Amino acid sequence: MIPDIAGKLRNHFAPGAHSELRAQRSLTRRVTMLQGNLTRNARTDSQGVSARVYQGGVYGFASQAELSGAAAKRALKTATDNARFLDGHAGYNLGALPDIASGAMAPQENFTDLPQKHYLDFLRPLDAYISGKYPDLASRSLVAYADSMEKQLITSDGYASHILAPRSYIYIFLNSQTDSGMPIEIFKTYGGSGTFDLRFKAPEDLYPEVDRLYEHLMKKREGVFAQAGKKTVILHGELAGMLAHEAVGHTVEADLVIGGSVAGPMLNEMVASPLVSMTDFAHSAFGGEAPLPVYVDDEGVLAEDAELIRNGRLTGYMVNRELGRHFSMRPQGNARAFAFNDEPLIRMRNTAVHPGLDKFEDMIASVEDGYYLISSNNGQADTTGEFMFGISLGYEIKNGRLGRAIFDTTISGIAFDMLKTVDRVSDRVNWSSSGFCGKKQPMPVGLGGPDLRCEVMIGGK
Amino acid sequence: MQILNDTVALALEAFSGLGAQIYSARAVKSRRNEFNVDGGRFSLFRTTLDTALTLQAIKDHKRGVVSGNSFDEKAVRMAAADCLASAEAGQADPAWDMAESGGGTFEEGPYEPDMDKLFARTREMLEAIKKEYPKIMVEQLIVSHVQADSVYENSKGVRYTAKSGRYEADIMFSGHEGDKSSSFNGGGFRTASLEEPFLELGSLRKLLEDAQNQIHTTPAPGKGEGAVVFTPECLGSILYELAGNYVSDAVLIDGTSQWKDKLGQQVADPALTLRLAPGDERIVSGEKYTEEGYRSEDFALIEKGVLKQFLLSDYAARKTGHTRAPNTSYALVVEPGEKPLQDIIASIKKGLLVGRYSGGAAGANGEFSGVAKNAFMIEDGKVTFAVSETMIAGNLAGMLNQLIGISKETVQDGTSVLPWLAVNGITISGQ
Repeated sequence: MIPDIAGKLRNHFAPGAHSELRAQRSLTRRVTMLQGNLTRNARTDSQGVSARVYQGGVYGFASQAELSGAAAKRALKTATDNARFLDGHAGYNLGALPDIASGAMAPQENFTDLPQKHYLDFLRPLDAYISGKYPDLASRSLVAYADSMEKQLITSDGYASHILAPRSYIYIFLNSQTDSGMPIEIFKTYGGSGTFDLRFKAPEDLYPEVDRLYEHLMKKREGVFAQAGKKTVILHGELAGMLAHEAVGHTVEADLVIGGSVAGPMLNEMVASPLVSMTDFAHSAFGGEAPLPVYVDDEGVLAEDAELIRNGRLTGYMVNRELGRHFSMRPQGNARAFAFNDEPLIRMRNTAVHPGLDKFEDMIASVEDGYYLISSNNGQADTTGEFMFGISLGYEIKNGRLGRAIFDTTISGIAFDMLKTVDRVSDRVNWSSSGFCGKKQPMPVGLGGPDLRCEVMIGGK
Repeated sequence: MQILNDTVALALEAFSGLGAQIYSARAVKSRRNEFNVDGGRFSLFRTTLDTALTLQAIKDHKRGVVSGNSFDEKAVRMAAADCLASAEAGQADPAWDMAESGGGTFEEGPYEPDMDKLFARTREMLEAIKKEYPKIMVEQLIVSHVQADSVYENSKGVRYTAKSGRYEADIMFSGHEGDKSSSFNGGGFRTASLEEPFLELGSLRKLLEDAQNQIHTTPAPGKGEGAVVFTPECLGSILYELAGNYVSDAVLIDGTSQWKDKLGQQVADPALTLRLAPGDERIVSGEKYTEEGYRSEDFALIEKGVLKQFLLSDYAARKTGHTRAPNTSYALVVEPGEKPLQDIIASIKKGLLVGRYSGGAAGANGEFSGVAKNAFMIEDGKVTFAVSETMIAGNLAGMLNQLIGISKETVQDGTSVLPWLAVNGITISGQ
């Protein structure tokens, strides 16, 4: 664990200016095997301190790539100077931020940083299993990946904290080709929060997953192109989570609302079917721990759930301390920074559509002519709520039964229009957490949701 | 620079003592000074002092890589040991090696920033946007000065030192009128000087003007095959996708590239010449040496439609029996065509002018489909109206053989030099 650096410097904060001091260490470990070749075998370790100071309506921020009290003092001084410079030049003359609850979180438990050999030794038998059992594959690729963030934070007001957040994943990519020679690919990610050794006990545990993935690949080999146009679809929870994050979540981040997002004029309006509720969960959801729990954010705000949509009505934005004041909303712990040299931005944590009452099987049976869309290889949305998701695995639904697999395609729509077409919501929730949300900085986020029946535009031939 | 020299020397000595056979160390020290504007107002002045150390070691043809940011002696020695332990745990592959020759010293750009002038230029830009583009809301603007020093050395005697400074900006904005808004759009530039107002750099004025004209949109009518004119900004992302699909390490090592046997053959219309040219005078702070220790040199990826080179790392080149790419930058330079953009558009009966493509990653077969963002309809040779909810689908390699034209105008933003490029045979699906 990083030693106590920030805690000793509380008395160096300038009186009257809201100040934050953070010491952070971030680790990544990655092993990539492509066709049995070890193409990547890399470890990164990034550490340092940063300070942020609020003055007159603007922030000064500074960081130093060194974990020491002396570096923290230098960062604090530069951040204070920067706040003064910008305050002097911009001249907004805004007052201090509203008070927040203060206290201290108990430090979280330390974790074991595994040697690179551990990841290699796990991946080798898994790769051998795939190449041995499925020699007809055009290619295969495996990635073992683990990262962690350790943050020590003190603020002039708010909660002090010392958090450690490791997560671990395995990515499996399988490639084949159709009889006509068209290459096709399928992939899946496994894992979640926690260290690699606790998350993955033995390579054999993943063999059944590989077999299922291969089955999908063989069906996709015999696949068809999706028919373009507006279609009734069942979106798997992976895609519902993506929709919650990309197409709705970003539009209700208060900094993007200020920047002109479509959600600005929609607060308290119906934006979705009454069957749709959506929350950005802090650390617990649906009776369990959320995939990437956040207890205190990087402004020292004690984290709580941010309700976004209740029964179809837009009920709130995600704010930081400054924009909480602007919108008269309580900050709920959404201000998060990625690396030690990054300032906190408004970020989602674990954003999910709530489950409903429908059984998945009944939902499939309810579709006469449509698609069941399961996995995505890409997703984007903009502040108008117009979204696009690349679909890497899906099946036709004909007369209430799953049919042939479809080749890669794309779905698109306007989130708040599309959500109004949701007429069935399943009672099961799928979470994923392997990705990074991209804003100015990357950020690990959790996203989840149930299966949704709705209408979307599907691309294709 | 002294601390970089000392850190690299320490790492190499540590590797030697530990028994590494081939090894390298690269140390970087950088400082970024950055103004952030959010929702149209100044929000943050950020200064980051960063260091980075990348170590690579090869022993018995096994390779490990460790990156850290501590120059502390104990940390450097631990990183070297960790790197070698990673290598030893790996698997032997004779394709791992490092550069045997090369070296140089480079210095360019404004090393120290003028923060008062940078602030003044930023404020001037915001005020000009407010006055000249009144329907535009600036979501975020980040302007920075970046200063960087680096030292690379490997066990074969290759050594580089570089020192540079530059200014850069990224902006995101959208057009608004009442409750209506355009999709967001963005642009940016990299420059060595603060002499010119920022609004005159890159294609910012054009992008802002387009966003104002994209507030009121209509889906393209129906579905059919048509032409697409990609703007320079969109062309950059399409070419990036193309590179990943056909000429990059992964698809050539695993053999899934459909261009794997096309070296020296015609893969595109003869009008297309595409270079990766970090040494081009229009590229600011271009790559000087690769992380593998080679001096960066400009090269043609496609020349007059012929595939001349794959974008392979040193390792992948040995693996596949091809030559490595002479640089690892993405400084794209596409040769301009003969005709003005207006003439190209005038020749199109039905199509789209696409400013941004929001799509899923193209399949290994090159098939892509996605949303045409920041796009206008072209009808009977004229740009008629802004479209929304309109998808385009095609084949990355296929469309390069259905070229309508390449504009003689280019956009130079300090990171690339790109024209407008028009192709046929794209499926356009509206409503």
